[in-house]
Amino acid sequence: MAMSREEILQQVQEILVDALGVDDDEVSLESRLMGDLGAESIDFLDIVFRLEKAFAIKIPREELFPAESLMNNPAFVSNGKLTESGLKEIREKLPHTDLSEFEKNPDLNKLGDLFTVNAIVNFVDGRLNAA
Amino acid sequence: MRVAGKIRRFRLLRPTAGQFEQVGYASAQCEGIMRFILIDKVISFEKGRRLKAVKGVSLAEEYLGDHFPKFPVLPGVLMLQGLIESASWLVRNSEGFAHSMILLEEAKNVRYKSFLPPGAQVEYTVEARAIEENVSSFSGVGVSQDERIVEARFALRHFNLADNDPTLAAIDGVVVENMKIRWKLLWQGNPGGN
Amino acid sequence: MTIQARSGNIGGPAACGEPAANLLMRWIWIDKFVEFKSGQSAVAVKNVTLAEEHLHDHFPGFPVMPECLMIEGMAQTAGILVGEAKKFSEKVILAKIRKAVFFDYVKAGDSLRLEAKIESLAPEAASTTGKIMRGEKLIAEIDLMFSHVDKNLAGKAFPEENFVFDDTSVFDSLLREAVSQGADPGAGESERE
Repeated sequence: MAMSREEILQQVQEILVDALGVDDDEVSLESRLMGDLGAESIDFLDIVFRLEKAFAIKIPREELFPAESLMNNPAFVSNGKLTESGLKEIREKLPHTDLSEFEKNPDLNKLGDLFTVNAIVNFVDGRLNAA
Repeated sequence: MRVAGKIRRFRLLRPTAGQFEQVGYASAQCEGIMRFILIDKVISFEKGRRLKAVKGVSLAEEYLGDHFPKFPVLPGVLMLQGLIESASWLVRNSEGFAHSMILLEEAKNVRYKSFLPPGAQVEYTVEARAIEENVSSFSGVGVSQDERIVEARFALRHFNLADNDPTLAAIDGVVVENMKIRWKLLWQGNPGGN
Repeated sequence: MTIQARSGNIGGPAACGEPAANLLMRWIWIDKFVEFKSGQSAVAVKNVTLAEEHLHDHFPGFPVMPECLMIEGMAQTAGILVGEAKKFSEKVILAKIRKAVFFDYVKAGDSLRLEAKIESLAPEAASTTGKIMRGEKLIAEIDLMFSHVDKNLAGKAFPEENFVFDDTSVFDSLLREAVSQGADPGAGESERE
């Protein structure tokens, strides 16, 4: 099932509007799920379920939003920042996300900023067009 | 105002030599056990725009025994009801109590973020997005000790029974009068607001 | 005739304030299950009757079933379905009402049918869809999300035991009846690893 990025973005926008109760014009590519759109733990799961249904793919939550296990692992986190092995872990888990900014200051509190609309579109694009 | 309740029969007992002798029966009408009102007081309101109300959670609320055993917390739907009631009062005041029936039409993205145990107080704030003649929409939040407990977006619909059946106009009148009395109880003696 | 005194129970209006155990309002908004397919779907019924006290406050003069209690009925139907799908090994609680839409109001004398389906099932959460019918009339559509408490409310203090579904739960008899009626272990196909 090949879909263009525009088609994917449109579906993702609809999903985020439904799941988060935000308006259409609040959802742009750069919008951060947590910082800008107010998403929380339960919403991440809601979004995963809706993405699975809309794109007919299976998404283990860890693949899309790996924050939790990372944050609780002392090998990956030190003094509120990700360690070298933590950064490596996240690069592996989030190949679809641009980490260059984050790597300059891998503050744990900023981890959530990585989850943008663009990251979701990249992820879905990768899954659909790799198959 | 009708008071809902059961008629209970009691045995009348007279103490005699360390024991009690049954001498008859009496019956009494009790207040209904559960009062379905999920706010305690309206603390402020801006007509047509915003209303704040508070509710205290008490072990005296019987459903806490079931929700849950060993872990009593206010059921989430009753927090939603607190928001619905708050918004309904905003509507009633905006439209001069024109409609008897104000009901939930739709609730969306209602998120529960924490628990409200006995002893807690929650403050509900509802903001009107639009209030029209027969529909209105709101966003609402419940906060307790600086922590957000519940968030919701919802829409209400307002109408009179007489809209569909003119013979029910008298019932609309009764409901409206009762709600006007209830409003006086909830908004009584609070400084500020309109 | 003489009657042994029971302390604090002389009778009269003062006793009104002390409800007997069997008059305590129970927090249960469904009456029984009429269908139960483990891991997939369930149907429960609820009779709405003037004997329910809350109706008389909503509203005084014209009792209608509060919409939030219909949502709770669906949450109980769907919650039991989700909990049973995991053999009640987890505390399942309502985390989010995705959407609840109502098309008509419900009065005393109405009998409701609550139909719930599991849409997605994951270790941390589940989503369900559902509708409430009064005869042929669609009364409501209600979509919910349930959470495994431990994984999504980290930091809140709550007891270790499964307080939602243990044997003191109000659902106990409904559960046993539901499960014996048609639950077929291993029938569910929507479960994800």
